[in-house]
Amino acid sequence: MFPVNERLRKLLGTDSLLPYWLLLPTLIFIGVFFLMPLFKAVSLAFYGDTGFTLDYFKKMVSDVRFFDALKFTFLFAVTIVPLNVATALAMALVLNTGFRGSRFLLYIFALPLGIADLAAGLIWLSIFTHRGFLNSILYALGIVERPIHYLSYQNINYTFLSVVAAEHWRATAIVMVILVAGLQMISRDYLEAAEVLGARGWKKIWYVILPLLKPSLQSALIIRTIFALQTFAVVLALAGQITPVLAGEAYFWQFLYRNSHVASAYAVLLMVISIAMTWVYLRYLRSKTEVMRG
Amino acid sequence: MKRLILLGVLAFGVLASAADITWMSTQFTPIAEGEFVRSQILAPFAEETGISVDLLNVEYAEFASRIEAEYQAGAGEVAVLCGLHGDLAPFAYALADVSGITPGGTISPTLMAKGQMAGKHVYIPLMQATYLMVVNVKALAYLPVGANIWALTYDDLLAWAKNIYEATGEQKLGIPAGPKSLLHRFIHGYLYPSFTGYQVLAFDSAAAVDMWNYMQELWQYVSPAAPTWDAMDTPLLSEEVWVAWDHTARVKEAIVQRPNDFIAIPSPAGPAGRGFISVLAGLAIPETSPNPEAAAKLIEYLTSPEVQVKILQGVGFFPAVAEASGAVPAGALQILAKGVSAQAASPDAIVCFIPGGIPDEYKKIYKDTFYKFVIQGQPVDLEFLRAQATRMRELYLKAGAPYPAPDGK
Repeated sequence: MFPVNERLRKLLGTDSLLPYWLLLPTLIFIGVFFLMPLFKAVSLAFYGDTGFTLDYFKKMVSDVRFFDALKFTFLFAVTIVPLNVATALAMALVLNTGFRGSRFLLYIFALPLGIADLAAGLIWLSIFTHRGFLNSILYALGIVERPIHYLSYQNINYTFLSVVAAEHWRATAIVMVILVAGLQMISRDYLEAAEVLGARGWKKIWYVILPLLKPSLQSALIIRTIFALQTFAVVLALAGQITPVLAGEAYFWQFLYRNSHVASAYAVLLMVISIAMTWVYLRYLRSKTEVMRG
Repeated sequence: MKRLILLGVLAFGVLASAADITWMSTQFTPIAEGEFVRSQILAPFAEETGISVDLLNVEYAEFASRIEAEYQAGAGEVAVLCGLHGDLAPFAYALADVSGITPGGTISPTLMAKGQMAGKHVYIPLMQATYLMVVNVKALAYLPVGANIWALTYDDLLAWAKNIYEATGEQKLGIPAGPKSLLHRFIHGYLYPSFTGYQVLAFDSAAAVDMWNYMQELWQYVSPAAPTWDAMDTPLLSEEVWVAWDHTARVKEAIVQRPNDFIAIPSPAGPAGRGFISVLAGLAIPETSPNPEAAAKLIEYLTSPEVQVKILQGVGFFPAVAEASGAVPAGALQILAKGVSAQAASPDAIVCFIPGGIPDEYKKIYKDTFYKFVIQGQPVDLEFLRAQATRMRELYLKAGAPYPAPDGK
């Protein structure tokens, strides 16, 4: 042993403490940049000039737009997440067959990952806007007589579908990447065994691949659901005020109406919903081994 | 070394006070604007009159405390002040009567009267910004019979938008109603005063109910994409709309790009008058001014048409002086300036100031009401209006802020 090491050892204590020392920088980082702001945000939602109060939550719930925002946040989440997962699963399964050019296709499919959500919103805005690409093409083909207003209060379903299309395009890639990684971790042995026993096509996917993919599906679902609940930039770019969402309301309260308390109340509500959804996934999507372990 | 620094500080102090008068301003605070005013406006003034002026750019807090301190002390350094109406109004007691000063150009009586308070004339208008309507010349063919484009009423606007819709099949009226739009200004500074005579006091009046019903009718002819627009320059350029309302800065780009296609006109008038917002900056002289004569000369100079045009070009604020509008070089700025001065000079004007001293939540109260009645098209409901009015009054009450003009008289 070198003397320096000895000294360090004394300073750090026994070997059993070492992992904690190594974790310390991360803990400090999380504490300063995550836990402290979190604590601050939560206290902003509950404490005003006169101490503890539920006024900000009352204000949030009595907000004219609150129930619309709640409704659209859930509608977007329940529409977009299953679509994301279904499409990503199909894409991942196709890519995993390893045909010629599948690698190239993987990069193409993953492209939207590199685009910021507001930028994605603007791209789709140029498609759906009144004088956008979609209307130009439909008009040139003689399908419509005059441009259709997709993004308007009168056609709230069109607006909704436009946001779903944009979010679907933007967010499927991340799910696909997680699922491709999951598929590659499945041992060839299982698949070969399944084939030997006569499981092919749908049967193989349904009874072998999907159960083995459950952990990846679970993380993909958790990540996507949390992000879908926070969807905001794409909605803002495409739908403006037409379809309010919770994250957007938090933003407006903070930056347009400058009331951090109500903005924090919205943020706390979103956090509670996210935690609840995560718990549901963890509870009901446990893989077999986890269930066996308890 | 210490002595050197001390000497330096002293020398700087002497140099700084070498100017004949100090002009303290909450305006022209961006460095480029301050530089422009010093080199293009104050330097020629020094050459012309031999009076050198030191422009002192400050934030409102410093502005307020210095006026108060010099007034309390009974003697001061600051000779002239420049601030928004809302910056100057609270210090009427500390400001000298400027009614003896003749501005370098003609200022409309409506504008001039804004400086009248506490029984004296407190400031002389220097420059203004506002919100108005920009019209594509193609729309002029559909103007209703008998309507005067320079003095439209809201009924004319409705008939006009309807004519255009019936002729083209498109809703070509544009009101910015996106998340970051200035829609709240349209509601509190244009609709409300034009229909009810007030920004706040008649929030839930019978006239307000009529106004919301009118907006529901008008909204049929407003482009359905309006809730996605934050500024009207782009939809004007793409011709999605032909007639639009917005802040001068948010429509300017359209006129700059195609000056031959657009004109700027005053906002419409309602049953109570022509409500519009004036972002008005004025010039004042503190009671304690060390050199009121030089200050008066500076005010005359700054309100001369040539200097007013320079301010428009360099700072983007529109002239307060009528002759200046004619002297603006041809192009986008001239088109806008013509609209701005026509609006300011309207005989039925109800000049509104932007609310101050209350939380920004007031914007939400106006916007939410609009959202419910107009965008969602729910029936106008007096109960809801009353609840919103209560919220609004609470904001003013809690902050102890005065109602803005025209309410707070």
